[in-house]
Amino acid sequence: MAKIRSFFSRTRKVQTADRFVSELQNEGIIMQRAGSGDGPEWVIDGSPLKNFGSCSYMGLERHPLLLAGAEEALRRYGSNFSISRAYLQCSLYEELEEALGRAMGRHVIVTPSTTLAHLAALPILVGERDLVLLDQFAHASLHMATELIDDVPIELVRHSRLDAIERQLVEAGDRYDRVWYLCDGVYSMLGDFAPFAGLATLLKRYPKLHLYVDDAHAMSWAGQSGRGMALQHFPSSERVFVAVSLSKAFGATGGALALPSSELKERVRRCGGPMVFSGPIPPAGLGAALASARLHLEPEFETMQLELGDRIESARTLLGERGLALATDDATPIFMLHYDATWEVTNVIRALRERGFFCCPSTFPAVPMNKPSIRFTVSRHNSLPDIRELVEHLSAVSAPRHSIVRPQASEDEMSLESQSAAG
Amino acid sequence: MQTMLMYDSTIGELLERLYAVISFEEGDEPAWDGLKQVFSEHARITRISHEGTDYLSLSDFLAMTRSLVDAGAYTSFYEVEVARRVEHFGNVAQVFSAYETRRHRRASQALDRGVNSIQLIREGGRWRVLGLLWDETYTNPKLDFSALFPTEDARG
Repeated sequence: MAKIRSFFSRTRKVQTADRFVSELQNEGIIMQRAGSGDGPEWVIDGSPLKNFGSCSYMGLERHPLLLAGAEEALRRYGSNFSISRAYLQCSLYEELEEALGRAMGRHVIVTPSTTLAHLAALPILVGERDLVLLDQFAHASLHMATELIDDVPIELVRHSRLDAIERQLVEAGDRYDRVWYLCDGVYSMLGDFAPFAGLATLLKRYPKLHLYVDDAHAMSWAGQSGRGMALQHFPSSERVFVAVSLSKAFGATGGALALPSSELKERVRRCGGPMVFSGPIPPAGLGAALASARLHLEPEFETMQLELGDRIESARTLLGERGLALATDDATPIFMLHYDATWEVTNVIRALRERGFFCCPSTFPAVPMNKPSIRFTVSRHNSLPDIRELVEHLSAVSAPRHSIVRPQASEDEMSLESQSAAG
Repeated sequence: MQTMLMYDSTIGELLERLYAVISFEEGDEPAWDGLKQVFSEHARITRISHEGTDYLSLSDFLAMTRSLVDAGAYTSFYEVEVARRVEHFGNVAQVFSAYETRRHRRASQALDRGVNSIQLIREGGRWRVLGLLWDETYTNPKLDFSALFPTEDARG
């Protein structure tokens, strides 16, 4: 067994990605410039568009407490705190990690980003006699981070396939000290959850199994005090390690690792490459994050989560009423609809923008070649009438409707005779 | 659908098998054993893409396909033949085969349309694919096959 070896060279993959991304760029529907900040609307090319693309699901980026926290930190510490954390760190780090620790019920270390959290943690967590199973749709940052642990076997696993994970665990036997499953808590494209219930069963059945979960898209809106999905399911497991984002629903900037022990936290701080060699988060970002963490601990935060939950349910109900099938049945703020062809996606995105709505195209390499898609998100910024209006327009411009029905695995074989050459 | 020249009917069966074994349903995989049976062990597979031309042996082709499936580049694949032109002489046949790829069998639109150039050889009394060549730089989901297949039932 060896590390993942792609058939295609790195250069070739870059060229392919460049071609696909350039096609959408040339269509003028990605790589655009916003004329406004995040919020209920984005101004693009001078036109206000209702914002159904933000990952700020809780809509905290303009919350008065976060703004005040950022302003106070900026005044107190200046625009930058320019020294490696290995030598000296801004005192806001300790306050933030303490507040996050209370919210998440773990030992938390703050990182400059979720990506850098992976880069810091995985080389420390994964031992040289371990096996790594990587979900094929785990976030690109996780795939990237496995480059740092390429001295151990790394196996790609079909998306959320518990049977494939268990097969690997059985085959692994006693050959490895530990078997890691690297996955997302909420997948950033499909919007589905990791199969937490099944993973809980596997954790009980296989003591060697350890989980490393990128829960960036579940932070804040999910779980008690916004701790995310992974820690909500596994609040005290010594074999579950979680990375989150402070830059999405959390409303600030940076990332964090939620670890089962203070010893491990200190080890990551001492030895995690980016913890020593990457620049620290500027004080204003830390100030906003600290304010957000404290807000997460307030009783009112659950009410805010419920407000988002109402919007998610409303969108799901309305889409269902119009026969617009989603890629997943899981109720998250991420909504993905598959289309039959990329040109359909382009047309629908354009039509929605003409009607005043910002949604995102998702095509290869963000999603599989066979799944050109539209991805939209729902946040607390979106009003219920706006959600209804979006779904109505989406339905109107997505003809023919049957083209976006999710295929059923058990569908009857369609006769090839009618479609293929008669010979 | 009509053929321009008469050919062994088992050629048609082989081509149907070829399209069947490269296709797979959501969450499944191509029929690896079926692929090995459809191709001659001496087969060459050539893919012209925007990024370059891949000259592949059968094992390379299987490795490329597995790599794409493992990485999630395809979670399903459905390719169907929509028009065909065959020339056949003795144990040799050459086929121009127009295809569509679709997201799934019931998809209303093609993901892509193109042409496979297929060379067949009769080995031990059975037709097998000796060469498969296609050009992705000319594929297009709205490709009109009528110019290439004027006498065929080329669906535009």
